[in-house]
Amino acid sequence: MSEDIYANALKTALTEVRNICPDITRSFIFTKDGIIIAEAAQDAEASTERAIYSFQSLIEKADTIGGLNTFLVNGSKGVAQISRVNNMYLALSASKKADMAFIQSVARIIIPTVIKLLENIASTPLKSTFSPQNLIVENLTGLLVGETAQIDNEILKQWSKNLNNARIDEIEIETSDGKIARCKVKAISEREFIGKGLIRIPEKISRTLEVEKGEQLKVKPIIPEGKKYER
Amino acid sequence: MSVKDKPEELANLRFILEGIRSKEGIIGYILRNSKSASVDLNDPAKIIDYAMLSAELLETGEVATEIFDVGLINCVVIEGNDVKALSLVMGDQRLSIFMSKEVDHNKILKELDLTRHTQRRNERFKQNNEKSET
Repeated sequence: MSEDIYANALKTALTEVRNICPDITRSFIFTKDGIIIAEAAQDAEASTERAIYSFQSLIEKADTIGGLNTFLVNGSKGVAQISRVNNMYLALSASKKADMAFIQSVARIIIPTVIKLLENIASTPLKSTFSPQNLIVENLTGLLVGETAQIDNEILKQWSKNLNNARIDEIEIETSDGKIARCKVKAISEREFIGKGLIRIPEKISRTLEVEKGEQLKVKPIIPEGKKYER
Repeated sequence: MSVKDKPEELANLRFILEGIRSKEGIIGYILRNSKSASVDLNDPAKIIDYAMLSAELLETGEVATEIFDVGLINCVVIEGNDVKALSLVMGDQRLSIFMSKEVDHNKILKELDLTRHTQRRNERFKQNNEKSET
């Protein structure tokens, strides 16, 4: 299960909860770092970033009372609530007529259960782990290049560090028009290409992705099977 | 609507707070306006931390009401592992009451709402008087 599937599963859960209880007006899940993991489909676009920033600040200050478990805003038109769910936070709002018992069930039982299930089904990293790295294509030629791409060792080290020192052998490459390929990866060895934000890819992969030198690609690591990411 | 608190209303609020303060599980309170603050906490070493949390509570509450479109704040409640806090705006006063998790904050809110109700009634009374005078 990829991190996108994980996020999609959570998004579906949030959207379904909203379908069951239309009085829930908005809901999303975010990490302490302020990264949104999933957000229910909603009618109106609204800025979540400002709210997240404010919540983060509150979460920090709530250390005084033993951390934030629940934060409830009772307004004249409805309620907004943030609840800690494992290592994440579920934010949701509901109209005044919403059944508060149901809201509490969502925050304390349904969403935590979904998260637990997802984590048990596949030891999957959260979306917050990696945002794709933007790298510029550089051709990789030679007799022994095979089908292995090369990127900066620093990037590989950073990914590895974020994954409890897991070995990164494989990456996923995505082009600007959505073509995706997986290939093996190793560190760039030639000094002239190091530290320039490049991804050196063999011709075969270039052809598969239909990309040329100088184009930008999104690159992220593929987490080794069975590797449990500890947040 | 911001209304300047009358001395008697403030005195009434303080009287109610004293009653609340004496209840079991109440850790203390912070009552402040733009000019001054009254703090009564069991552990004076935590005054700064609690004051910062108190300020943050209503600020975050205001942001949340705006983002989530839930109208004007009636009250804000935060619950941690050890303690919970109830915050609300009463006229010019911003009040946060800290308590142990076992305390029913709704009961505290009811007591305070009575004060708010009295404040609103007095405001309406004053406005009506002003209208009839003109």
